[in-house]
Amino acid sequence: MADTTVLTVENLSVTLDGLPLLQNVSFTLQRGEAFAVIGPNGAGKTVLFRALLGLVPSTGFVEWRPDVKIGYVPQRFSIDRSAPISAMEFFLLQSPNFWRPGAAFTKQLDQELKSMGLGPGVLKKGLGELSGGETQRVLIASALLQKPSVLLLDEPTAAVDAGFEETVYTLLHRVQMERGTALLLISHDLSVVYRYAQRVLCLNKSVVCQGPPVEALNPQALATLYGEASFYQHEHGPGHGHG
Amino acid sequence: MTTPPHTSFWIALLVGSASGSVGPFILLRRMALVGDALSHVALPGIALALIYHFDPFYGVIAFLIGAAFLVFWLEGRSRVPPDAIVGLLFTASLAIGILMIPNADVVESLFGAFPVLSLPLLLTILLTALVLSALCFLLAKRFLFLIVSPDLARVNGLGRGYDLALLLIFAMIVALGIKLVGTLLMGALTIIPASIAKNLAQSMRRYVILSAILGGAISVAGVWLAESFRFLPGPAIVLLGVGLFVLSLPFARKGMV
Repeated sequence: MADTTVLTVENLSVTLDGLPLLQNVSFTLQRGEAFAVIGPNGAGKTVLFRALLGLVPSTGFVEWRPDVKIGYVPQRFSIDRSAPISAMEFFLLQSPNFWRPGAAFTKQLDQELKSMGLGPGVLKKGLGELSGGETQRVLIASALLQKPSVLLLDEPTAAVDAGFEETVYTLLHRVQMERGTALLLISHDLSVVYRYAQRVLCLNKSVVCQGPPVEALNPQALATLYGEASFYQHEHGPGHGHG
Repeated sequence: MTTPPHTSFWIALLVGSASGSVGPFILLRRMALVGDALSHVALPGIALALIYHFDPFYGVIAFLIGAAFLVFWLEGRSRVPPDAIVGLLFTASLAIGILMIPNADVVESLFGAFPVLSLPLLLTILLTALVLSALCFLLAKRFLFLIVSPDLARVNGLGRGYDLALLLIFAMIVALGIKLVGTLLMGALTIIPASIAKNLAQSMRRYVILSAILGGAISVAGVWLAESFRFLPGPAIVLLGVGLFVLSLPFARKGMV
C-alpha cells in the first residue's frame, strides 16, 4: 500500500519561558483528508500550527512529506484598516512580478477568485474595507494560488458573520474534494467538525482524544476537554467581545 | 572648497525622493517614532567628526548603521519593549552629542544648513540616494508581505534579513539627508511625504510612487523657500510638508489616486 501520510508529528512539545504550551502531541495527516483540531481557548491550537510551520521553537519530531506544498491561511491581516493596500496587491504578493503581473498570474487569480465565490470587484477594495467573509475568502484564495497540497486554516470562520460560516466551509469542502487538498483546520464549531472532518484531534496542551469525530468526541472526552460543568458546544472567537 | 552649483536642490530632489520611497514601509510597520529617534544617533557621529576633523558625513553614516543593527537586535528579543529602549538610548545620544559639539555648530547639526560639499562627495550622496530609492521599489513586495502578515511571509520563505534590509536602507537615507535637514528633523522627512501620500492613495503601488514624488517635490520647494526667504532649509522643508499634510486630511477616508 502506498504511503499516504503527508505529515507525521511525534511527541511535539513547545515551552515558552518555562511554561509548557504543548506537551507530547502526536498525530499524522493523510493525503486529501480534512483534519480538525479542537480545544478550549489557550489549549495550544495556534501554538501547534506555529510549531508545524517552524514559527516557534519546539522539541519532538515534525516531518512533512518532501513534495508537500503548504498553504497557510492566518485568521486576519496584521495591518491597520487605513493602510492603502488593495486586495489585488495582497494577491500580487504571490506573483513573481509585483509591479507588472503577467497574464498567467492574472488568469490563475481569476480562477481562484471564482473558486472562492468572489467577483473581480473585490480586487479594487482596500484590505480594510473587506468584510469578515471576504477577508477569509481572499486569504484562502491567495493560499490556493500556490497550488498547495495541504491547507492550514486557523479558525477560518472566527471573524466571519454568522450565517456565512457555512459558505466558507462549503467552499473549502469543494476544494478538498475537487483538488485532493488536505485540510488541517482549527475549529471552535463542533457541528462543522462532525460534518466536514474525517478525523479530529482534541487538544488541551496535550492530546485528549483523537480519531473520527463520531468515535472520538464522546461525552467523556468532551467533558475532559472543556471541563464538565462549563461545557458548552460553541464559542465564538474574538470580535464578539465579552461584557 | 567650492560647492558645486545647486547642491542643495540636487540633494533635496534625490534624497527627498529616497525618503519618500522608504517612508510608506516605515509608517506601515509602525516604526515612525523609532525612525525619528534613530536620526538623533547621528549627533555623536557629527561631534566626533568635528573633534577629529573628518567630514561629518562619515561619522553620521557609521553611527546610523550601528543604530540600525541595534534596533534590529532589540526587535528580535520578545521580552524587551524596543520602543522604550530605543527612545531612551537615542535621546541619550542626542544629549551626549549636544555636550560634545562646539556651540557654534549646534544649530546646524540639529536643523541642517545649505551643505558645503566637494563634487565627489555630492555625487556619492546623489548616486547612493538613487540606488536606495531603487531598492525600495525592488524590495517593495517583500517589505509589504512582512507588513501585511509576518507569519505568512515567513511561511513563504521571507526571513528577518528583510527587516534588517529595511532598517539599513532607512538609516542610510537618513544619513544622506542630515547635512541639509539636520539630525532633529531628518526623521520627519521620511515620515511626512508618506503620511500625506497615505491620505491620498488607494493602493500600495500608487502610495509608494506618490510618496517618492512628494518627498522630492516638498524638499525642493522647501529649499527654494529657504533660499528665497533666508530660512534654514530643514525647518522650511518640514513645515511645508506638515502644511501639505493638513491639506491632505480631508481626503484621508476615500483617497484620491
